[in-house]
Amino acid sequence: MTVARSIEVRYFAAAADAAGREEETIALPAAATVGGLRAALLERYGAPMERALRTGSFLVDGVVSRDDARPLGDRVDVLPPFAGG
Amino acid sequence: MPVDAADPRFARQRALAGFGPEAQQRLAEARVVVIGAGGLGSAVLPLLAAAGVGAIEVWDDDTVEASNLHRQTLHSPADVGRPKAESALDALTRLAPDTELVAHVARFAPKVALDAVLDADLLVDASDDPTTRYLANDIAAVRGIPLVWGNAIGWAGQVGVAWDARGVDYRDLFPEPDPAADSCETQGVLPSVCGVIGAAMASEALKVLTGSGEPLVGRALLYDARTGGTREVAYRRDPDAPRVGSVDDLTAEKEPDRSRIVEPAELRALLDGDAPPMLLDVRHPHEFSFAHLEGATLIPLDDLPSRIDELDREAPIVVYCHHGMRSGRALDLMTRAGFTRAKHLNGGIDRWAREVDPALPRY
Repeated sequence: MTVARSIEVRYFAAAADAAGREEETIALPAAATVGGLRAALLERYGAPMERALRTGSFLVDGVVSRDDARPLGDRVDVLPPFAGG
Repeated sequence: MPVDAADPRFARQRALAGFGPEAQQRLAEARVVVIGAGGLGSAVLPLLAAAGVGAIEVWDDDTVEASNLHRQTLHSPADVGRPKAESALDALTRLAPDTELVAHVARFAPKVALDAVLDADLLVDASDDPTTRYLANDIAAVRGIPLVWGNAIGWAGQVGVAWDARGVDYRDLFPEPDPAADSCETQGVLPSVCGVIGAAMASEALKVLTGSGEPLVGRALLYDARTGGTREVAYRRDPDAPRVGSVDDLTAEKEPDRSRIVEPAELRALLDGDAPPMLLDVRHPHEFSFAHLEGATLIPLDDLPSRIDELDREAPIVVYCHHGMRSGRALDLMTRAGFTRAKHLNGGIDRWAREVDPALPRY
């Protein structure tokens, strides 16, 4: 049996629009990586989330993580790029 | 006449707990470089000038347009067509005749940026351009000064302080520029979002310059006007983020790869020739409906990966977008997918309209 863990995910800007919420708790396997969370979010929220994630940042416990192999922490912030002035 | 920190105009700041006459004196001696006299600049600049900052330099290469006026309140209808930097200078002179004010009607670009911040205590990026954001970030890091940055688009905005010497800069939040970023030209913006974010930027600037309070270092503040709510993202140093190595790296002129680009006049000649290239527009559908090049095929950049097989890999193709950022990204995709004769239009449809087809509406 796979041991699950809870990840607190916070969505910002276009990622919040794509998810229809600002935060939620997602259960993933204990050994889940950034790539695993990415796949889970795409499965849940489809194309709009794909666009938000393509050039956005995952902040794992406050550090930008671009490597899909990186293990997850307790909290992940999903942050699309900012623009406009 | 230099700014006098004892001037009655600043009485309420001198009386402010945690601020006082010493902080006022620091403002009077401060030199701030502000990039952008648009929506955010219209909020941040008057606040800094009226607060008694000793010297302010404004960089902006744009001119005032009617569609700017709802949010760019430094400018008035009579200023339409004037350089924004000059119009801003007039407004700031009325507010703060004793502040040393300099307007640069020029782009904050690699060649000039390093000298521009030589004597500056603080850099403020109130521009709407991702390329400028990363340049400002890297220049501030190399020069060892803080950067106050802000963004406003749609109903939302963000603000923060990049301060390499204090442990984090903009690359710790977003390691590299996003060439597909929307601009408020295509998305629209609620004017008061510029006011909220610009005022928050001014607060950060005043705190950093005077050493008061706790600046937004390692925290980005996000504001959403739809709910009226704010949220905060805490972030730390990303050890893998790309960093600028030296001053030389920063000022090296990047030579565009001629094999990848087509100039507007060159494209006109190609289209009039015997073997005109296919035109591929990678903008959003609403931009395409507003204006496009005759005969162009629309495949928005977001859809290109899934629709790339609709295109002939051996055919001559010219990709274009609004300014040449998204088309560059599209070309990267196509090159990786095996396209051999594709190029993109330098400066996008905007430069095409200016140089080749003035009848085409611009936005």
